[in-house]
Amino acid sequence: MTIKRSLAALGLTITTLVLAACGGGGSTADPLGSSSAPPSGSAGGTPIVVGAANFTESQILAEVYAQALTAKGLTASTKPPIGSREVYIKALQDNSVQIVPEYTGNLLLFVDKSATATTQEELANALPTALQPDNLKIGKVSAAADQDVYVVTKEFSQQNNLTSLADLSKVSSNIVLGGPSELAQRAYGPQGLKGIYGATLKQFKPYDSPAVKTKDLLDGKIQMGEYFTTESAIADNGFVPLADPQSMILPQNIVPLMRGDVADNPQVTAALDPVQAALTTEELTALNKQVDVDKMDPDQVASAWLKSKGLA
Amino acid sequence: MSYFSYLLDASKWGGAGGTGQLLLQHLAYTGAAVLIGAVVAIPLGILIGHTGRGGFLVIGLSNAARAIPSIGLLVLVVLATSTGFGPTVLVLAVLALPAILTATAAGVSGADPDAVYAARALGMTGGQIVSKVEWPLAVPLTISGLRSATLQVVATATVAAFAAGGGLGQLLISGQRSRDYSQMFAGAVLIAGLAILLDLLIGVIGVLASRRVRPAGKTRTSAAAAPA
Repeated sequence: MTIKRSLAALGLTITTLVLAACGGGGSTADPLGSSSAPPSGSAGGTPIVVGAANFTESQILAEVYAQALTAKGLTASTKPPIGSREVYIKALQDNSVQIVPEYTGNLLLFVDKSATATTQEELANALPTALQPDNLKIGKVSAAADQDVYVVTKEFSQQNNLTSLADLSKVSSNIVLGGPSELAQRAYGPQGLKGIYGATLKQFKPYDSPAVKTKDLLDGKIQMGEYFTTESAIADNGFVPLADPQSMILPQNIVPLMRGDVADNPQVTAALDPVQAALTTEELTALNKQVDVDKMDPDQVASAWLKSKGLA
Repeated sequence: MSYFSYLLDASKWGGAGGTGQLLLQHLAYTGAAVLIGAVVAIPLGILIGHTGRGGFLVIGLSNAARAIPSIGLLVLVVLATSTGFGPTVLVLAVLALPAILTATAAGVSGADPDAVYAARALGMTGGQIVSKVEWPLAVPLTISGLRSATLQVVATATVAAFAAGGGLGQLLISGQRSRDYSQMFAGAVLIAGLAILLDLLIGVIGVLASRRVRPAGKTRTSAAAAPA
């Protein structure tokens, strides 16, 4: 009696090849651009290149700026995403791009490490002086901002009457905070909540995946989460962003950073100022979602938004 | 900056989220996952090894499951259920299963045929053959299966940190994100050290078990002293 053995190992290898297409195809320059008579006479036909950092929001904003300029009769185009701040500031200085979308707080800290400005107004006032040595200028500061924010669920907010970090100390001993692991070291992290708002948290729990963090916040395993204001998870789940009356978190309002000569062109400001005025955090969130979730092209998203605002 | 600065910093070891707690979490994940894997795989392996049926399908499938990326499976399971100890252990147990199952089945089906025939000739029932002959002979191989399963799980338990589960993987993630390389180094050293320690421990258990099954020199001489 022989026992037949059939032990076989089945190896299954699934190889998935993901090709990430380069986003942000350059918008074509308007051929009518140079024919419309520029009132100032300067830079009307000089092509303007709008650069972008290597993330979705920056690419969308670059498309928005370029198309708004084109709509006002200037010759403007975008470039493929450049990279980090260190790289695109260099690109501005060597004139390979002329405009880049920026964020007030981080831009100021980059050019002036000892800056003490904390509010929106202080930042807007401090930036021009700090940028002067590099012959760079900022445009109109938008109300739209992409910055860190603490959120709670709607139920938690209602139960504890919590809408601002100023009220956090009353309930903080029951709160487990979830956020990216580096938040533990940040000045606006748990130590900032304690030092500025007197709120000692029960625990800080590090999260690597925003999706898992959102899941735990919805499941009640954490009571407060740290997000970016333009993350669609906030609105999609009805999370309540907590106000920051002491300006613990540095505001990061959207602002176009330009070479001095371009910023002095009234046509450019005439094209970009209405865009900056029309942009809100909610709309920026929606634009990000269209690209990241609905997989639309940044240039199409930008063009549709500009049309809806009557800016193109 | 010394690579050992985080590892040797006593203040980083205590408290919630401290290295000591992460180490215990890591051990708990490993222990629970290997235990669940063993509880499922050993009876299944004995059944397959004894009957000689279903080996291709079950062992093939469980080995194919090794190809599933652990992080992907973990995030999927966590988003479908919830975070916490249970889902994480479940994912790690999937990883522990194939090694134990294959080893047990091979050990049982590979038990000395002469011994099995002799047991049958003595009138033992199927159950007795399994419990008194095949399983004791398979124990050393099963332990080696447990050993390789433990090694895999202790190394892969680092993914628990991706689902907010802590463990020593947290040191790697936190260290990488805040560019604290001494923290990453501490995580890597501890995981590697833990893996070596557990491997040696189970290795010793395996040697002891095989001595018990085959006392030195006995089986060889009895076989040689039985001319046809």
